[in-house]
Amino acid sequence: MGERARQALPSVLSVLLALVLCWIAIAMTRDVDTATRAYLQMFWGGVGNWPAFLDGGPVSALTRPLGEAAMKAALLTLTGLSVAVAFKVGLFNIGAQGQMILGALAAAVVGAQLNVPAVFHIPAALAAAALAGGLWAGIAATLRIRRGVHEVISTIMLNWVAVSLVDNWLVIGPLKAVAQGQQSSITGTAEILSSAQLPRLLGDLSRLNLGFPLALAAAVGVDLWLKRLRVGFETRAVGLGPDAARTAGIPVAWRTGQAMVLAGAMAGLAGAVLVLGTEGRYPGTLGAPYGFDGIAIALIGNNNPLGLTVAALVFGVLRAGGTRMQLLGVHKSFPELIQGLALLFVAGRLIWLAVLRRRPRAVVAPAAPVVEVPRA
Amino acid sequence: MLEVLHSLLFSTLDAAPALVFAALGAVLSERAGVVDVGVEGMMRAGAFCAAVAALAMPTPLAVLVGMGAGAGMAAIHGWLCIRWRSDQVVSGMALNLVALAGGTFLLESLFGPNGTPPITQLSRWDIPGLASVPVLGALSGHAAPTYLALLLPFLFQGLLTRTPLGLRLRAVGDKPHAVATLGLSVPALRWGAVVGGGLLAGLGGAVLSTAVLDRFEQHTPAGLGFMALAAMVFGRWTPVGAFLAALFFAFGNALRIGLASSAPHLMDLVPQGVLLALPYLMTLVLLGLQGQRSSAPAALGVPFEQESR
Repeated sequence: MGERARQALPSVLSVLLALVLCWIAIAMTRDVDTATRAYLQMFWGGVGNWPAFLDGGPVSALTRPLGEAAMKAALLTLTGLSVAVAFKVGLFNIGAQGQMILGALAAAVVGAQLNVPAVFHIPAALAAAALAGGLWAGIAATLRIRRGVHEVISTIMLNWVAVSLVDNWLVIGPLKAVAQGQQSSITGTAEILSSAQLPRLLGDLSRLNLGFPLALAAAVGVDLWLKRLRVGFETRAVGLGPDAARTAGIPVAWRTGQAMVLAGAMAGLAGAVLVLGTEGRYPGTLGAPYGFDGIAIALIGNNNPLGLTVAALVFGVLRAGGTRMQLLGVHKSFPELIQGLALLFVAGRLIWLAVLRRRPRAVVAPAAPVVEVPRA
Repeated sequence: MLEVLHSLLFSTLDAAPALVFAALGAVLSERAGVVDVGVEGMMRAGAFCAAVAALAMPTPLAVLVGMGAGAGMAAIHGWLCIRWRSDQVVSGMALNLVALAGGTFLLESLFGPNGTPPITQLSRWDIPGLASVPVLGALSGHAAPTYLALLLPFLFQGLLTRTPLGLRLRAVGDKPHAVATLGLSVPALRWGAVVGGGLLAGLGGAVLSTAVLDRFEQHTPAGLGFMALAAMVFGRWTPVGAFLAALFFAFGNALRIGLASSAPHLMDLVPQGVLLALPYLMTLVLLGLQGQRSSAPAALGVPFEQESR
């Protein structure tokens, strides 16, 4: 077994085991038939309803679910990248949620207030979101570098500050949409202009928009940055051993700050993709806690930009299809449960490796840590 | 003015125990070298199981059930981290996610989306003679966990700094190999600390659903576990420090609610959201001023292997 496969196999098996366990859970609470049909619904809801399509259904039976899955996957990829980039430099970024909120708000404001052609408007809104997320993470980075404040505590605090200031003040106060006639019940900020909307790639066939290729590009970019550029190498060196890195002449504080700001920018972009791609405004709240999902995605993907993209795709499919399970009366929290269980089994990575090696009681931890996760 | 102070103190003491117990649990686990980011999930399990158990048995017993649930979650964490040397952050976050999604699923399939039916709250104790004293009277009229939360941190501090067991616990978080050299079992000490931390986190959750509220709700504990982690770091991994930090957070929260109800005209000047953000901003500023050079246990998050050095 190649080294790459050996690294990835536990994650794959964990996801499969989680799927099986949740199937059993549904089968036990309902019955076997319901469990199977619910999984089929979830599957068709995520990768396209092939039976309906092959029976002569419209092509949208494929494109619509796939588009939904791609949208979810884009958000999960970006927040996952945010968490993973911070991990690489040895920081645990619990604050992706807060950074995403700031990014979403910035995108919504620029999207609604700036009046320029789409060619400039979309990049401007994306840049504003990345900047806002990066600055928000920069606060935690500065506190860490200058004052030694642990990033776990500062990012948690910054999450709460972001929720309090944005959701409980700005969005319902100064930035609230001005009511126009019938629409007085709208929550959130003013609607973004059409020039700021991320273009839909398949027109009316699906909600798939530019956000998805953007997220994939970001993943490839981060991967190249980490593996091909000197800066990225130095960043990883800092994460693996700050003292050794310092001895080697790597500017540890500077690299740490850069990585954290990049992490914030990724989360900020996730906010922008949500606002510019689907919501069209900053909604009252962001809905699902994508920032926290990012932690799971990053860890299941072994903190590898490409690995986490695959994890995001899988869970994007499950998330998009998960809502369809409700048609059968199966609770919609199952995709989240699958995600949680998968992470739990990923945590038992060494158990998997021991089982796969088929040598009883021959479990010796590898010389290097398998997952490059720093202590919190 | 005195009345405002009284009610602020009262609601602080009402809300603090959950945070205090969870923070103490985190201190216990992390001083023994095992990262405890799963404390939120353990609290949630404790809160849920305590609320469900209270439907069938007296509430104080149900609190014990909640503690057991927290310990059960902690045992999974311990098995993965101590037996299998898994990454402790991954394991902890996984517990949080499982508790979040699993709790939601169980709640809705057993009781519906609005939470469990109301249960009998823990009874409140009146301290004779104290209730009529101004300000100090706020100490009277709380449920038992509040008094335990005022006492336990100091017992813990004594245990950690003054007893052989405490010394060993601290040593196993700083230099596990030294402990092993003495012929003591590193895994046994860590197991004790992790499960003890789970019991405390479960208690913190149980307090939420049996004393603060009278049911388990969808969002319990709503990030309180992460606040407990913050309190632990803020308190520099010491029981009394974590206790004071938890009190500070609870006070900040009480201050916000108190200001909103006692000075409504203030709300016209300062928006609610800014008040909400205030305790967190204060914490950030205080931490920035104080600085927080590493005071974490030296071997925190490092799996122990007998053979390695």
